[in-house]
This record gives sequence, structure tokens and C-alpha cells, in this order.
Amino acid sequence: MPETPVLDIAHLTKRFPKLVALEDVSLQIPQGEIFALLGPNGAGKTTLIGAVCGLVKKTSGTVRIFGHDLETDPLPPRYFVGLVPQEVNFDPFFTVRQVLAFQAGFFGKKADPARIEELLAALDLTSKGDTITRTLSGGMKRRLLIAKALVHRPKLVFLDEPTAGVDVELRRDLWSYVRKLKAEGTTVVLTTHYLEEAEELADRIGIIDKGRLLLVEEKSALMARLGERRLEVRFGQTQTALPAKLQEQGMVLSADQMGASFIERHGTAKAPALLGQLYAANMEIAEVSLKAAKLEDVLLRVLQNGGGAEVSA
Amino acid sequence: MNVVGTRTLLSKEVRRFLKVPGQTVLSPLISTTLYFVVFGYTLGARQTDLEGVPYIRFIVPGLVFLGIANNAFLNSSSSLFITKIQGTLVDLLVAPLGPMELLIAFIVGAMVRGLLVGLLTWGVALFFTGMPSLHWGATIFFLLTASYVFSMLGLLAGLWAEKFEQINFFPTFFMLPLTFLGGVFYSVDKLPEPFRTLSLFNPVVHMVEGLRYGMLGLAHGQVAFGAALLLVLTVITTAVAYALLKSGYKLKV
Repeated sequence: MPETPVLDIAHLTKRFPKLVALEDVSLQIPQGEIFALLGPNGAGKTTLIGAVCGLVKKTSGTVRIFGHDLETDPLPPRYFVGLVPQEVNFDPFFTVRQVLAFQAGFFGKKADPARIEELLAALDLTSKGDTITRTLSGGMKRRLLIAKALVHRPKLVFLDEPTAGVDVELRRDLWSYVRKLKAEGTTVVLTTHYLEEAEELADRIGIIDKGRLLLVEEKSALMARLGERRLEVRFGQTQTALPAKLQEQGMVLSADQMGASFIERHGTAKAPALLGQLYAANMEIAEVSLKAAKLEDVLLRVLQNGGGAEVSA
Repeated sequence: MNVVGTRTLLSKEVRRFLKVPGQTVLSPLISTTLYFVVFGYTLGARQTDLEGVPYIRFIVPGLVFLGIANNAFLNSSSSLFITKIQGTLVDLLVAPLGPMELLIAFIVGAMVRGLLVGLLTWGVALFFTGMPSLHWGATIFFLLTASYVFSMLGLLAGLWAEKFEQINFFPTFFMLPLTFLGGVFYSVDKLPEPFRTLSLFNPVVHMVEGLRYGMLGLAHGQVAFGAALLLVLTVITTAVAYALLKSGYKLKV
């Protein structure tokens, strides 16, 4: 990790009169990383992003962006931050192109029609460029939010559920665009309810619930540590029992005695090894399936464990 | 200071009200002109001269003030309030726009609309009454400071309001009584006591009298006091608005 992280949050707490929205959250994000922040509704994801982006007044703690403490130096880092908010908003008076030009201007950028056209093309909005924004469909309005967040070429982008309500095609296009941003050195913080999205894009995963950051880990390490692969085997004929060695390793015969299953976890035997042992035992195998580990299952396990899983930041 | 950002937000504010000129410029111009025609021509014909000028000419500064005050107030209050309600406030908060940038853009935008309506009203009035003798310095001072103060008051109302009902509270219960009892259509000097003395506590009286001095040359003892009062209001409203914007009052959670 570089000496100065792009985003450095230390002991961040946000209390509302009847709710602790964030409790002692600490997190560092290096340049060029795609970080996915996951958690159930009301977990504190949007509050955390809001506290970094100037929408939420923190109760205590510090937030540094590019080394600037937002408490004492709030404006300079904002030139390099972009936000796709969770709530769709639109300006009823102006066209898509005008809105993008205004947004670039707010960030101190002079008119750059080429940049606007590039974003319109990337988000499939070119034909809507001269349309008044209030007449856009819900999905189009969300695309415009994404364009607004990127028009000033930010170095740190927050995508708060950017693909909620958009079609599959745009979702794939956006994923490609996020990868392009990463390749250019942009840091991306993503929240999403589409876990496939986080699985596809993220370098690291953070899981938050009830305002507490339960876990931060490299995606691949997390999947290896907490992910589960399920091996399902169907036999050509009824089996009375599995070889003792397989049973000892956790393989279970199905109730109809025509199949067996095994859940591979961190520290258990590997599914292909057990499959090899089945073949070696001359058992007639008709069908084999191996279901890959899903981030969704990992998330559920961590949430059910209430943060009991080890946290590494 | 984010100069490009401030200029962009100011340009957006002006273009916003120019997108709907019928509502933001023409409508107030017509209502003020109707006041002028009804009060000036129909009632004015039965009035004797006031302070040595015909009644129709006497009410012009007050009507110009009405156009400025109402429209400056409405522009900043509704613009900020709509920004909050529609969620586009996020676009401003996430950008490098501090309290000073927001203040300049919203206030100057509102002043432009207030002054536009006020000056157009004056133009219509001049068509009927002819060019009076002027104190240009005083006229410009009172036009600018009145539009500034009411733009600031509108901004404060827009910050405070969370419901549509609240945004209408100030114009209905605060501005309307103060302006109609502020000597727009009559001379405060003609009021019997204690109403004359009570009227002097209404700041609008001093703004209207100041404009009357500037636009008609009618000298009053309170002109200097009116100018000082406007300067004090300018400083107080600016300080309060700046402090509230800096603290994120009703803008950030």
C-alpha cells in the first residue's frame, strides 16, 4: 500500500439522535483500487460515502482524501472526487448536455464538449443529449448520474448502487467502463446489491452492518477463506455406503443413496481430490457438478456471524 | 476561490429563471403594472398631489421596490428549496463549492431577477409618467442594497424551509404585510399617530423612502438612516447566511 492512501478514514463515527449510523469505522484505500462496500439496507454504506463526499456531518473521527483532512481543508480534494448518488435526481430545466456542462463547471472545468460527447457515447446517451432531463426514463436518468460523476475526470469515484434499475446491457457496459477507469489509475469505491457486480469488479471487499465495518479483505483471499464450493455426485446405481475415508473427510451420502455431496471450505479437503477418491474406489459415477463459491454466501455468513469473522484492514 | 464553479452556478441560476420568463419576469411585471394602472390612474385621479408630485408618479418607486423585493426573494428561496427537494443539492455539496461560492451565485442570480423585474417596471412607469429628476447615486444604492437584502432573506428562507407550506410562509406572513404597510401606496408622513411612529420600525418604509428620494428627488429626514439600516441589514443577513451555509444547516444531515 502506498504511503499516502487516496482515502484514509480513521475512527469515523456518525450518531443520529436515535441511531448510530457509523461506529468507529477505519479504512484505507490505495490508489487504483476497486473497493466494494457491501452490507444490508441501512447498514451505513451511504452514510459512510456521504461523510466522505460532504453530504453528512460526522460526529467524530477523521477523513483524509489525497492527504487533505476534510475537517481543516474540505474543498481542495473535492476537485478530484466524483459521486454517483443512490437517489436519482434530475434538473427539470436543462438538457442532458447542459447539465453535464454545468456539472463540469462546478468542479472548475471549463467547457469541454469532447469530454461530454465521450461520456454520452460511453453511456449510450448520445441520442438524448438535447433532451430535457425530466423527460428521461428512470434508467436514462441513472446513466446521466454516472456521466455527471465522471465528467470532471475524478481520481476517486464513489458509485453508490450505480446499476440499480438499469438494464443488463448497460450494467455490462458500466463494468467495462469501471475497468477502464481503474486502468487509468482511478480509484473506485462501489456499493451494490448485485453481488455479482462486486465479484466481477472488486479488488477488495468491505462488509458493513449496523454501522460497524465487520471485515475488509482482498476478494480472492476472502473467497478462499470464507467461500464454499459444493460438490454434487450422482451414482449409476444405489450405494449402501461411502468409503470410510470419504466419510471422514465430510462427504455425505444422499437420502436416496443415489448421490453424495461435499462442501469444500477453507481447511477442508479439496473437492477434486475427493472426486478422485470416488473414481479410485471404482464407484460408478453418472453425473458430477461443482458449484463455485459465491460472494453472496460469504456475505451471509459474515452477517450471520455478526462480525465474528476476523477483520483485517 | 472556485471562480469557474461560481460563474457556472450563477449562469445556471440566471438561465433557470430565463427558461420560464412568463412566470419569472412577465407575470410579476404585469401584476406590478396593474397596480400602477389601477392605483395610479383610477384612484390617483381622485388623489391630490403627494409631497408635491402627482400620485401616479409618487407610487412608482414603491412599485419598483415591490418588483425587486418579491422577485429577488422568490428567486433565491425557490431555487434553493427546489434544489433541496429534487435532490440536486448533492451536485453542489459534492463539488468544490464553499459557502462563499454558493452565496455569491445564489445572491447575484436572485439580484439579477429582482433588478430585471424592477427596472422593467420602472421602464413601464416612465412611459406613463415621463423622466423625473433623479439622484442617480441614491437610486443605484437603494436598488442594489434592497435587492441584495431580499435575495439574502430568500436564501435564508430556502435554507430553513423543508415543506412547500414553509416556503410560502415568508412571502405571505412577513413580506406582504411589511411591503403593503411600508408606504408603497401612501406617504407615511400622512399617517396619524401612533401609526406614523410605528411605521418607522418597518424597514421597508426606509427602503421605499430611500428609493423615492433617489427616483423622485423627494427629500426625507430618514434617507441617511434608511441607507445605514440597509447596510446593517446587508451585513447581518450576509453573516447569518454565510454561517448557516458553512455549518451545513439543513443541507447536510
